[in-house]
Amino acid sequence: MSKIVASGIVKRYGEKEVLHGIDLELEQGKIYGLIGRNGAGKTTLLSILSSQNPATEGTVTVEIFPDDTKPDDWQGKSSGAGNGSNIVKMRPHSAVVRESVWENPKALSHLCFSRELNQMVGNSANTMKVKEYLKIASLFLPHWDQKMADRLVAEFGLDTKRKISKLSKGMLSMVTIVVALASGAEFTFLDEPVAGLDVVAREKFYQLLLEEFTETGRTFVISTHIIEEAADIFEEVILLDEGKILLKENLEELLERAWCVSGREDEVDRATAGYTQHHAERLGRSKSVTILEPKPNDAGKNERTDRLGNADVTVQKVSLQKLFVALCGEEH
Amino acid sequence: MNEILSQEKSIYIQIKEMIENDILRDILLEEERVPSTNELAKAYSINPATAAKGVNLLVDEGILYKKRGIGMFVQLGAKKKIVEKRKKNFYDDYVKRLMAEAASLGITREELIMMIQEDGAGGNPYTKENNKAAG
Repeated sequence: MSKIVASGIVKRYGEKEVLHGIDLELEQGKIYGLIGRNGAGKTTLLSILSSQNPATEGTVTVEIFPDDTKPDDWQGKSSGAGNGSNIVKMRPHSAVVRESVWENPKALSHLCFSRELNQMVGNSANTMKVKEYLKIASLFLPHWDQKMADRLVAEFGLDTKRKISKLSKGMLSMVTIVVALASGAEFTFLDEPVAGLDVVAREKFYQLLLEEFTETGRTFVISTHIIEEAADIFEEVILLDEGKILLKENLEELLERAWCVSGREDEVDRATAGYTQHHAERLGRSKSVTILEPKPNDAGKNERTDRLGNADVTVQKVSLQKLFVALCGEEH
Repeated sequence: MNEILSQEKSIYIQIKEMIENDILRDILLEEERVPSTNELAKAYSINPATAAKGVNLLVDEGILYKKRGIGMFVQLGAKKKIVEKRKKNFYDDYVKRLMAEAASLGITREELIMMIQEDGAGGNPYTKENNKAAG
């Protein structure tokens, strides 16, 4: 599997439309960060991508290699030339088949959405034990890695004899992390994996994730509210705002065109004229705004740089968290 | 390579500068293997693509080179190259900013030169004055 393609995804729950036409492509071998405010539709989107929830409109397809080989089997064999050039042999395009994900066992075997655990089943407590839950996961996930599951359980110090209803919030997160990492699925979605984890456990999670990622090149999509500390592990970020994708971009490139400009109000306005001022804050005569330059290939970059350079203002880099607040924090 | 990443610069630039600093300080020697992008990613909890971007900049500058299937190595003469590059940037990075700040505070050229010449021996003329006034 090389790609997941969602197009025109609309989701309505009764009268309420929560996703308004999402187009999204997820490539193999990347760690994506999915960020958005509460109720933006992150969980709904992930559940639709993994066919746990039907879309009202639109399709989710995957590109599958018909013989189900992994790309490693055919990619990059440099035909013995050995001249140091990185020749990557591409498979002929016609060999890739696009298939719908819905009720497609082959596609689904490569997908894992490790959901938040429910401590209640209907009106009663979820009395399933952790080891029973992991056993069920192993039966449903064809690429399950039991050794890794055992190792992760030990690393987190999880007591698998405990009932799910008796777990703390952090322990619930640990179970979903174990399922996600041990699933062996090529595309793995994690919804708020670090919620409730203490800082040591969170660091451990990032380490384990990077270890698995560097060894296997599996694709991970991680939704999180703890943006600041998770940002560094993302290659691309998907910003979901009120059921729409606000942007999807390489994180480094995004942050290279985001700036916080501050100084005397008139100077700031002069320096940033022509740009949308996000998250303007005033304090006496001073003002600070966040601006997002157009992508470099849209030209005009030098002009901006000159203007900011000549004005008597302070220009600072913006973190992903600050940028997120600037773009999504405004009252609608 | 044990510096802490800051928010003020792009991470790949910081990775690049850390490797440069280690070469300057003889922590990484010429013809020696440098940590792989995966090792860097795990050490700093960053995406391997970000680490690779920093390392590749050093390859482009001829400071590191790739041995296929083995890893990245420090190029012979890398240390000299880094020194030369940083010397070239010294005026823009440090002197210009120093002069701009001095000008905005009304520090004259002569005063500035005196401060540089007296470094170590004379110390900070402004705190000296304050000390005199206080004493």
